[in-house]
Amino acid sequence: MNPVDKSLWTEKDTGELTRLLSAVVSDCVRKDFPEGLSEAQRQRLHTELFTSLREETVLDARRVVRRFQEEENRQRKQAEKKRRKQSMADETVQRLSLQQRLQHMVLFSCTLILIVTGLPIKFHDAPAAEFIIRFLGGPGVTRWLHRFGAIGLTLVGLYHLWYCMAFEEGRKNFALLIPKLQDAKDAGQQIGYFLGFKKERPLFGRFSYIEKFDYWAVYWGMVVMITSGYLLWFMERAINQFGKVAYDIAREAHSDEGLLATLAIIIWHFYNVHFNPKKFPGSLTWWHGRIPVEEFREDHPLEYEEWLSAQKLEEGLELPSETASEPAEAVSLESPGGKTA
Amino acid sequence: MKSSPLPFFTYLLLLGGLASFLPGGLQAQEDIRCLTCHGKPGFKKTLPSGKVLELFVDPMQLRLSVHKERKCVDCHADVTEVPHPTIPQKVNCARCHFLGNDVGAPQLKRYQEYGESVHGKALAEGNTKAPVCQDCHGDHFIFAGQDVRSLVNHKNIPQTCGACHLEIYAEFQESVHGQALLKGIKDAPVCTDCHGEHNIRKPQDSASMVNAGTIVNTCSRCHAKVVIMEKYGVKTEQVATYKESFHGIANEFGMLKAANCASCHTAHQIYPENDPRSTVNANNIPKTCGHCHPGANANFAKGRIHLNPKDKSAGIVYWIALGFKILTISTLVALFIHISLDLYHRSKNRRKVLQDSEEVTKKVS
Repeated sequence: MNPVDKSLWTEKDTGELTRLLSAVVSDCVRKDFPEGLSEAQRQRLHTELFTSLREETVLDARRVVRRFQEEENRQRKQAEKKRRKQSMADETVQRLSLQQRLQHMVLFSCTLILIVTGLPIKFHDAPAAEFIIRFLGGPGVTRWLHRFGAIGLTLVGLYHLWYCMAFEEGRKNFALLIPKLQDAKDAGQQIGYFLGFKKERPLFGRFSYIEKFDYWAVYWGMVVMITSGYLLWFMERAINQFGKVAYDIAREAHSDEGLLATLAIIIWHFYNVHFNPKKFPGSLTWWHGRIPVEEFREDHPLEYEEWLSAQKLEEGLELPSETASEPAEAVSLESPGGKTA
Repeated sequence: MKSSPLPFFTYLLLLGGLASFLPGGLQAQEDIRCLTCHGKPGFKKTLPSGKVLELFVDPMQLRLSVHKERKCVDCHADVTEVPHPTIPQKVNCARCHFLGNDVGAPQLKRYQEYGESVHGKALAEGNTKAPVCQDCHGDHFIFAGQDVRSLVNHKNIPQTCGACHLEIYAEFQESVHGQALLKGIKDAPVCTDCHGEHNIRKPQDSASMVNAGTIVNTCSRCHAKVVIMEKYGVKTEQVATYKESFHGIANEFGMLKAANCASCHTAHQIYPENDPRSTVNANNIPKTCGHCHPGANANFAKGRIHLNPKDKSAGIVYWIALGFKILTISTLVALFIHISLDLYHRSKNRRKVLQDSEEVTKKVS
């Protein structure tokens, strides 16, 4: 008997069990109490034994079936998860390291806090400003939330500088982020391609001019916002040292750059990673750092080629020349299935 | 105008004239009976305590006042026989002056406001020095506020309040507002313009016009109005720039420890910026700012306090603001164009793909 096969405990099963139990009980009564019992007594003994055993037996049987079912479901889910993970590993590429993702997470959490607590000050006349400040607990709370965000932003900024100098990965990525003449050419070709003047899209490496713009906008924003922000935070010392004009400049720059950064993030970055029809409503790349191979090949063809040849070297496999232009096949070669073949 | 130079003459004039312009001879007769004693100049009574009561009443004063149609006993209602054996009570104006009265007194909400004011509360607590109606409006010689003879006329208010608030009166007289009033400038604010009239409350009371939460509005009533300020060469943008400052924004959101107008300019000792006595004079700025920003030095005075970044006079701040404006607009325009082109290309591509697939299906079928 294999209870796992039964998906549900039914009335029919209960009937079956009851019949079996009845047979066993009458068997026992007949065999174990043969002497001195009248038929009526025998009958009564049978009934008593049967009723006291039936309830528990059925319950126990049900419990066992349920436990088997649960175990089965759990195993099925695990297998499914494993399969999905495996297929994701096959179809996606690890493009962002844990270091980079953590920096990005701290950066965007702090930036969100700063925007939410900062913009209501710039647009204090708006009814929404009043609402947000009240909702968060009044100006006494939001000013400290803003400073908390500021500390986080400063720390991640300083860590990023350290990362760009001290880590091989950081140095390599930073070098790739430096704007070059090629980026201007790429931008021109991209626009020409959008308008239909150019047949071919520009071939991007690890960072396209779009991503470089994003990075350096944040870089510039961090320098302006952090400098002016600390001048405002420690305004007594700032004014005593540099005069009130320094405070005024910091105030103006902080206010204006805050708006510029917010708009750039909402319009540019959000379009490129969220509202773009191809990406909507966004991916989990920021969390697991992986992007689909298809997207990788399309958006970063040069980096893709590099990655492909590196994979080949690692696995000691020759890349057939015709598969270079056939990504689907190339990927299938990458999969463990291809390896065993 | 406490006593008339010709009391006897006015008395005769009154006798002749009363019958013609007052209704009812009895009324006039009652007043005449009162004036038998109170109409004598120098009529006074010395109390057992030694206090001398000046009891002469110039009947002309009442006849010229807003109460010209009232007779003595209308207000001194506890006098029922002449001569009265006891000292009459202080007159209670609320006999007529209440909302809903039917004797012709103005129907004003202010009567109730007094009870909630700092003066009314002090009175209710039993403070005998607390001012009642007569202390500000006068007793027999009461005029409407617009009348220059009124004790509560705009130009007389400082003296009236100053009768009790001596030190503040002296401070106010010296201040830019007090000096303007002395020059006869009608726009100059007096006590009641900032503190209210019947609704005067303690500055700590959030309903007070001079509370930290309301003072900005109170000052703005004049200082934000170009019509008033341009006459005296005072900038109205001071209000707007304050509201844009961190002080103003904190105040707006209810953080009342932030500086308001009076925190820097003081309440009564307001002087022009170039006056060495002014708290906002460059020499005094470190001390003034130092109240809240400990350790403020002379650098606090380097640069304008009420700075308008949209104005060229703001110097480098103006150029920075302009630079950011240009940078923001040009960046966003560029990004917007890029996004639009991207979307245009995508939609065109999609249409092409759809067309191609339609052709393919046609061919197949």
